[in-house]
Amino acid sequence: MVEDILLGDEFLRQLMSVGEVDLLVAIPSYNNAGTIGQTVQAIEESYQQNFIRDRVVILNVDGGSTDHTPDVVSAMDGRKAVGYRGLTSLRTVHRVTTQYAKSPSQGMALRTILATADLLRARSCAIVSPTTTNLDASWIANLLRPAYRQNFEFVAPLYTRDRYHGLLARNLLYPMNRAVFGQRIREVFSEEWGFSGRLASECLSQNVWNDEAVRARPEAWMAVTAICSDFKCCQSFLGPKVPPASGSALDIVEVIRQTVGSLFRCLETHQEHWLNRSGSQPVPTFGPDHELTSDGKPANQEKVFGLFRTGVTELDPILGSILTPDTHARIKDIAALDQEKFRFSHELWVKTLYEFAASYHHAVINRDHVIQALVPLYRGSMYSFFLEHANSSPEEIEADSESLCLEFERQKSYLVDRWKAKG
Amino acid sequence: MKAMIVQGLEQAYQNLVHMLAEFLPRFVVMLVIIVAGLIISYALKYILRALLHLTKLDRLSEEAGASRMLRMAALPSMTEVLSRSVFWVTLLGFILVGVSVLGVAGLQGQISRLLQFLPEIVVAILILFLGLIIANFLSRAALLAAVNAGYASPKMLSWSIRFVIWILAISMALEELGVARQTVIAAFSIVFGALMLGLAIAFGLGGKDLARGFLERYLGDKKSEKTEEPQPL
Amino acid sequence: MALHDENLWYKDAVVYQLHVRTFCDSDGNGIGDFRGLTNKLDYLQELGINAVWLLPFYPSPLRDDGYDIADYTSVNPTYGSVEDFKTFLTAAHDRHIRVIIEMVMNHTSDQHPWFQEARSSRDNPKRDWYVWSETDTRYHGVRIIFLDTEMSNWAWDPISKSYYWHRFFNHQPDLNFDNPAVREAMWEVMKFWLDIGVDGFRLDAVPYLVERDGTSCENLPETHAVIRDLRKRLDVAYPGKMLLAEANQWPADVRAYFGDGDEFHMAFHFPLMPRMFMAVKLEDRKPIIEILGQTPQIPDNCQWCIFLRNHDELTLEMVTDVERDYMYDSFANDKAMRINLGIRRRLAPMMENDRRRIELLNGLLLSMPGTPIIYYGDEIGMGDNVYLGDRNGVRTPMQWNGGWNAGFSSADPERLYSPLISNPVYGYQAINVDSQRRSEHSLLSWTKSVIQTRNSFRVFSRGSIEFLNPTNHRVLAYVRQLGEEKVLVVNNLSSSAQAVELNLQSYKGHIPIEMFGRNLFPRIGDLPYLLTLGPYQFYWFRLRRI
Repeated sequence: MVEDILLGDEFLRQLMSVGEVDLLVAIPSYNNAGTIGQTVQAIEESYQQNFIRDRVVILNVDGGSTDHTPDVVSAMDGRKAVGYRGLTSLRTVHRVTTQYAKSPSQGMALRTILATADLLRARSCAIVSPTTTNLDASWIANLLRPAYRQNFEFVAPLYTRDRYHGLLARNLLYPMNRAVFGQRIREVFSEEWGFSGRLASECLSQNVWNDEAVRARPEAWMAVTAICSDFKCCQSFLGPKVPPASGSALDIVEVIRQTVGSLFRCLETHQEHWLNRSGSQPVPTFGPDHELTSDGKPANQEKVFGLFRTGVTELDPILGSILTPDTHARIKDIAALDQEKFRFSHELWVKTLYEFAASYHHAVINRDHVIQALVPLYRGSMYSFFLEHANSSPEEIEADSESLCLEFERQKSYLVDRWKAKG
Repeated sequence: MKAMIVQGLEQAYQNLVHMLAEFLPRFVVMLVIIVAGLIISYALKYILRALLHLTKLDRLSEEAGASRMLRMAALPSMTEVLSRSVFWVTLLGFILVGVSVLGVAGLQGQISRLLQFLPEIVVAILILFLGLIIANFLSRAALLAAVNAGYASPKMLSWSIRFVIWILAISMALEELGVARQTVIAAFSIVFGALMLGLAIAFGLGGKDLARGFLERYLGDKKSEKTEEPQPL
Repeated sequence: MALHDENLWYKDAVVYQLHVRTFCDSDGNGIGDFRGLTNKLDYLQELGINAVWLLPFYPSPLRDDGYDIADYTSVNPTYGSVEDFKTFLTAAHDRHIRVIIEMVMNHTSDQHPWFQEARSSRDNPKRDWYVWSETDTRYHGVRIIFLDTEMSNWAWDPISKSYYWHRFFNHQPDLNFDNPAVREAMWEVMKFWLDIGVDGFRLDAVPYLVERDGTSCENLPETHAVIRDLRKRLDVAYPGKMLLAEANQWPADVRAYFGDGDEFHMAFHFPLMPRMFMAVKLEDRKPIIEILGQTPQIPDNCQWCIFLRNHDELTLEMVTDVERDYMYDSFANDKAMRINLGIRRRLAPMMENDRRRIELLNGLLLSMPGTPIIYYGDEIGMGDNVYLGDRNGVRTPMQWNGGWNAGFSSADPERLYSPLISNPVYGYQAINVDSQRRSEHSLLSWTKSVIQTRNSFRVFSRGSIEFLNPTNHRVLAYVRQLGEEKVLVVNNLSSSAQAVELNLQSYKGHIPIEMFGRNLFPRIGDLPYLLTLGPYQFYWFRLRRI
C-alpha cells in the first residue's frame, strides 16, 4: 500500500489526470538539464514506434536539481516528428514531473517511482538514466516488452563492453550474485532496467526504505527481491555501454561501498532463500547476448599494485579481524610477490570474498569498514587480471570469467559454513 | 563496697542492654534493608538483562566496536556488564543506606560524601569508555579512507586522530572528577594548541606541494587520478 | 433582420437523413414510398427535427442505390409520382420541416437518355456532354474511389468504341462540366425542383466535377468556378435556398468550397466523424482536438455539417494509416464489415449496443459546432446486416413496431426490398418506434429531449467554441458562447469514472445550471472547478451570472 505522505498533492493531481496506463518510463534526475532532453525524446520515439496504441506516461523524479531539470522536461514539446497531415500520435502522452526530496537519493527516487507505478496500475515499467548518452528508442522498447507482452517480472539489461571495463561487475558482483542467488543475471547494478507492475507493488510493500544499502543501489535490491520471490526474470540486450564522461564518475571506493555493501546486505536480508541452494540457472535472454569487444587497453596499473600492497600492510589488524588466519597469511604472501610475478588466484579471491561476506554478517567490526577494507584487495585482483589478460582476446576473457563463476559456485558451501559459524 | 561494684556492674549491664536494645533494632533494620536491596538488585539485573537482550544491545555494541574492547579487557558482553553494574550499584546504594540507619556517628557524613561522589565516578568512566570507542572507530575510518585514497602515511593520520580523541576524553573525565580542573584545562589547551600549530607548520612548509595538489584537485579539474582506473561497472 | 435570419435557417437545422425506400410502404409492394413517408411526418415532427434530407428518389436502374440517375426531373415510379412528392413537400412545410434533396451533378446512369444519345455516335450533339477519350491513359495517376469494384477510372464503350471517364461505378459516366450546355442543363434541373419548393440540395461528389491533365482531378479551380456560378444564380432567383457540399477531403481542402461565402452554404466535416469514434474507443480526446485545431475558419454565413453515420460506409479515407488500422481492429475486425476504405456498420452495433456510449456520441453530435445530421433509425438504435452486399446493411427497413414486417409494409416479407433485421438484440421485435414511444426512458425519448434542449438555445447552432484542455485527457470540455449565452459542455470519453479540474477563471462568478435536470451547481470561484463524471457521462451546463 502507498503511504500518503510520500506523494505530494500537486503530484497526485497530475497522476489523477494521467489515469491508468499500460507503460511507464521513469527518469530519476539530479542536475541533468543538459542531457535529459535527449532522454525524453528517445522515450517518446520509442512510444511512437513501438507502442502507438498503448497508454503511456513519462515520469521524471527529481532530487532537488538546481539547474531546473524538471522544467526542461515539462517544456519539451516532443513533437519533432510530425506525421501525415500534421497529425501525430494516436494518444496523449503525459509527461509528469515531481521532486521527491531536497537532495538526491536513489532509494527515495525508486520508492516514488514504484508508488506511481502502483497507483497508475502500469503493467510494465522501465527506469532509464539521463546520463546515458547513447540511449535510444530500441533500448526502451527492449526493456518494456518482456514485462508487457510476455509476463516477465524483472528485466535486466545486457551490454556490449570494452573488455577491460566493468571489472567489478565481472569479477565480483556478477559471479557472487550468481553463485549465491542462483540466477545468471549479469547486470544487477545498472542505470537502466525494467520491471512489471506486480513486482513494483511487491517491492513497494516492503519496509526497507531506511536501509542504507537500498537507498544507494535500489536496483540490486529489486533484482534480488525478484529472484527470491520466484518472479520470472530475464535479460534484454540494449547496446554498447559507454563510460560516462570523465570527471562525473564516482570513485572506486564509493562504488564498492555502494555495490558490494548492497550485495552483502541483500545476502543478510534474504538468508532463508540462498543458504540451502546451490548451482545456478541461466535466465531467458532477448536479443543477442552480452559481448566483449576487442577495444580498450589496460590502463596504467603501477599505482594500483602499490595501493594493494600498502593496503595489505597498513590494514593488517583490520584484515586480521575479518579474514581467517590462513587466508590472511596467504594474502600477505602474495602481497610480497614481485610485481611481474603477481597473481591473485581465483580460488583465493573467492575465499577472501566469502570470508568478507561472513564477517560482514557477523559484524566483526563496523560493517561499512568491512567493505572499505575490501578495496585494496579488489585492486589487487584487478591488477592480477590486467597482468594475466594483457593480450587476451575477448573469448579468452569470457572463458576465464566463466571459470571464475564456477569457482564461486564451487565454494558456496564454504560461505554457508562461515556464515552459520558463531562469531 | 561490694554493693557499689554490683551496682556499677548492674548499671553497666543495664547500659549495655539499653545500648543493645537501641542498637539491635537498627541492626535488624539494616539487615532487612540489605536483604531487600539484594532482592531488588537481582530483580533489576534480570529485568535489565532481559530488556537489553530484546533491544539487541550486543549486536549494536559489536558494530560499534565496543564489544572488542570489553573482550580485550576480559570483560563479559555489554549486556552482562551493564546488568551487573546496575546490580552492584543498586546493592551498594542499599548497603550504604542500611549502614547509615545504624546511626554510627561520623559514618553518615562519609557515606553521604561517597554517595555524592559516586555519580561523577560513573560518568567519568563512561566518558573514558565512550572516548575509547569513538577513538577506535574514527581512527579506523581514517585509516581505511587514507589507504584507499592512496595517501602517503595513513597510519600516522590514523594514530594522530586516535591520540587527539584520547587526550580529549581523558581531559573530560578528569574535569568531570574535579581533579585539578584548571591544570587539566590548561594542559589540554597547550597540548592541543601545540599539536595544531605543529601540524600547520608541517602542512604549510613541508606539505605545501601536497596542499597545492589538494587545492588544485578540489577547485580545479578533477582529471588527474580518476582516468587511471577503468570503469568498474 | 428576420428575413436575413430566415435565409440562415440551415444553421439552426437538425437534419434527419432518410431514404424514401426504407421508411414506410403505403401500397404494399414491399418498397417505401412518398405516401408512406408523408404518413410518418408526424413522427418526425414529434422527434424535433426540422429538416429532412432525402436520398435520391429519381428514376434509376438502382445499381448504386439511386445515385445512378436516369431522369433528373421525375420520381421513380416505385416511390410514387411528382404529385406525391409535392403532397409530401407541402405536408412537411406545414409541420415546419424543410426538405433537402440530392443533386447528383457529377455523373448520370448509363441508362440516362443523355448518355444513350452521347454514346450512339461521335457526332451526336450530346456527345460532348460526357468525357470521352481514345485511350485510357489520360488523367494518369488519379485515384480510384470504389477500390473494391473498379480497376480503372476509364471504361470502354463498345458502342462508340471509345473510353469514357467515370470516378465512381463504371455504369456512372461523368458529365463534362467544361460544356456550358451541361451546366445549363443542371441549372434547369435545379430550377425544376426549386419551383416545386424544395429548400436545398446536397451536391454529391462535387470535388470531381472537372478534370485536367496532370492533376489529381479533384478540387480544381474550374470546379469552384462552376459552383460559384450556380450559387450566384441561386441567390438571385431563389434566396434562402441552401447548397450542401459532399466533399470528402481534409478540412483545409474543404474550406475552398465555401469560397468567400459565395459557393456552398454548408459542407460535411468528414474527418471529424471517425475521430469521434476513435476518441471514445481510445478514451482520449486528442483525435478530436487535433482535427478541430486544424479546421480553418469559414465565412459567417457558412456552416459545417456534422454527423455520426450515414448511408455510406464510415469512411476512413481522411485518417492516417495507424488510425485506420486502429479503427479496423476496434470496430471491424470481421472482414465482412469492411468495404472500400471504411466500415459498413450502424452506430448502435459499433457501440456494442451500449446505451451510455450511444448517448455520449449523440451528445457530442448535438453540442459541437455545426449542423447535426441524424441518420434514420439511429434514434431508436437500429442494428445492421453486414452480410448484405455493398452498403445495404445500413439501409434496412425502418422498424416501426414489433409486428408484421415491423410495421414498414403490409407485403409478404419475402417481397420487401431488403430483409429486416430480426436478431434478438437489434431485431424489430426488440428495437422499434412504438415500444420506445411508450417509455420515457427509451433511447427515442431521450433523443427527443436532447434535441429539444438543443433547439431551445441558439448557442449550440450559432455559438463560438472554446476548448478547455484539462490535464485529464479523457475529458473533452468546451464552452459554446453566443453573445451573453454561455454553455459549458463536459464529456467523459472513458469507460471509468473520472475526476477533472477545469480552469474556468474567465467565467468566475457564474453559476452552472445543468441543462437536463435544471439543477444548480456550485458557483465558479477562483480555484479550478472540480467535476466528477460517471462512465461515458456528459454534462451540459448553462452558465448564468446571477
